[in-house]
Amino acid sequence: MSSQFKQLEKLGNGTYATVYKGLNKTTGVYVALKEVKLDSEEGTPSTAIREISLMKELKHENIVRLYDVIHTENKLTLVFEYMDNDLKKYMDSLTVGNNPQGLELHLVKYFQWQLLEGLAFCHENKILHRDLKPQNLLINKRGQLKLGDFGLARAFGIPVNTFSSEVVTLWYRAPDVLMGSRTYTTSIDIWSCGCILAEMITGKPLFPGTNDEEQLKLIFEMMGMPTEANWPGVSQLPKYATSSASFQQQYPQQQQSKDLKVLLQANCKEKLDDVVINLLHGLLQLNPDMRLSAKQALHHTWFSEYYQRQT
Amino acid sequence: MDTYNKALNILMKSPVTDDMIQFLTHATLQVMPNNTAYPSPPGSPKKSRLPSLRTFITKLVRYTNVYTPTLLSAVCYLNKLKRILPKDAKGLPSTIHRLFLACLIISAKFHNDSTPLNKHWAKYTDGLFSLEDINLMERQLLQLLKWDLRLSNEDLILDLQYLLEPIKQHIEITTRQKKKMLAFKKQQQKQEVYKHMRNLSVSSNLSSSTLVNSTSYEDLKCPSPYNNKSTSRSSSNGSIKQIDIWHDNNMPNDLSWNLENHPVAIASHNY
Repeated sequence: MSSQFKQLEKLGNGTYATVYKGLNKTTGVYVALKEVKLDSEEGTPSTAIREISLMKELKHENIVRLYDVIHTENKLTLVFEYMDNDLKKYMDSLTVGNNPQGLELHLVKYFQWQLLEGLAFCHENKILHRDLKPQNLLINKRGQLKLGDFGLARAFGIPVNTFSSEVVTLWYRAPDVLMGSRTYTTSIDIWSCGCILAEMITGKPLFPGTNDEEQLKLIFEMMGMPTEANWPGVSQLPKYATSSASFQQQYPQQQQSKDLKVLLQANCKEKLDDVVINLLHGLLQLNPDMRLSAKQALHHTWFSEYYQRQT
Repeated sequence: MDTYNKALNILMKSPVTDDMIQFLTHATLQVMPNNTAYPSPPGSPKKSRLPSLRTFITKLVRYTNVYTPTLLSAVCYLNKLKRILPKDAKGLPSTIHRLFLACLIISAKFHNDSTPLNKHWAKYTDGLFSLEDINLMERQLLQLLKWDLRLSNEDLILDLQYLLEPIKQHIEITTRQKKKMLAFKKQQQKQEVYKHMRNLSVSSNLSSSTLVNSTSYEDLKCPSPYNNKSTSRSSSNGSIKQIDIWHDNNMPNDLSWNLENHPVAIASHNY
């Protein structure tokens, strides 16, 4: 490692890297050092290649800044802006006994706003994050929230890319992707934002499936079964036939979507209003084309106090 | 620009052709024009001689089944390198092979969700480069490019212009032809109406012949360098030309050449 940084305590293990707290000896500023061990058989991992090349350009107050890259034969070190915590650890810390607690609604709103601001910037810059979840949202004591871990991120919009449907951590994966779609776009991240919003409210993951099949089942139970009528083209998705068959076998009656508000209210101390439920429905549309964009979500009434202040 | 974007989409969906490999070879040689490609010394019989760049690229394409977009995007990185490297840059005879391979690996890793490992790439070079060689060239390229790997449609259009131009022309010809055909059909319809009117009204001065002449038959028979079928058909038998023209007017087949089967896809596979 470059002698410019003093390596301090370990902050966590990522999918392909270990993160340490570091101190920039010349400036006295704390940084996060993400160390990627290089496996000679693989060469430089494509995750690191994408994370670095995409994050280099993403300069936004709701996206963790990448300051520098140190590339040696055996090790690749990414020097990031230091953040105190991540949203997952923070929510875990609020657990009372065995009962997860949701965040206070004003904080939920502030975090969700910042999440959407950061995401809108990614999408404007033609970048999909593809792994939004509480662990990858970094926060600090000032209540700032920033998008981190762009290891699965991809550029889109040029006729060069091929996409895999093996993306996004299961609980936050959109139904179209679960059914094998490879033509997804920005809406893939919006679904995750909806799951995160619900999780911040209740403290519990909204759809905690253990495998692809169960994940789809949980989603359909809550949001209803998609049909050609409400989602034209859905029957063409690779795994639609099998998933709809097994779902209908289990629930021969036509399923109505459950009342999201009642469900969330059961795990939320404050009173939920219809406005936030309306936003949630906008983010959690089964049909990807019907989901709000990040920009549209930022203009939702629930955020009026923020955009009214801005203008 | 819109036509170029269309052409780009068509090009990227075409299979890899010999033309593309020729183009890539040329682009790679341009990165270091002063790297005089003197033949490698005979060496000991055991060691394989350095293959020509073109053979090297052809084999890589064949072994890896690389996607056309991945392969062609490598050109953008090669051109970036050309702008970065000093004009009189020189290297070993194998340096150009390294440059190409490194650009291809980076293109594959950046643009696809699953790609071969570097140990696989080493195998694909038929022993020309070791795994260590490959890891080194990859690292050096990333540093030279400063990890700046994003490409825009504009980058691609600019760097692939040579391959895009014929497709673009083809699209333009096809669209023009379609428009003319539509106009002609309208004329015909009008003519029918006029004829009808003339039958009804004796005082009509309209001449049907001027209407017919206003559209040149020759214009409609738009020659395409790619559609050998249509040109050979009309030239081989002049006597049916007239009929053909009329025939074409009624048949949209010749007008809407399937763009997916574009000339680039039809181009010869010599390797």
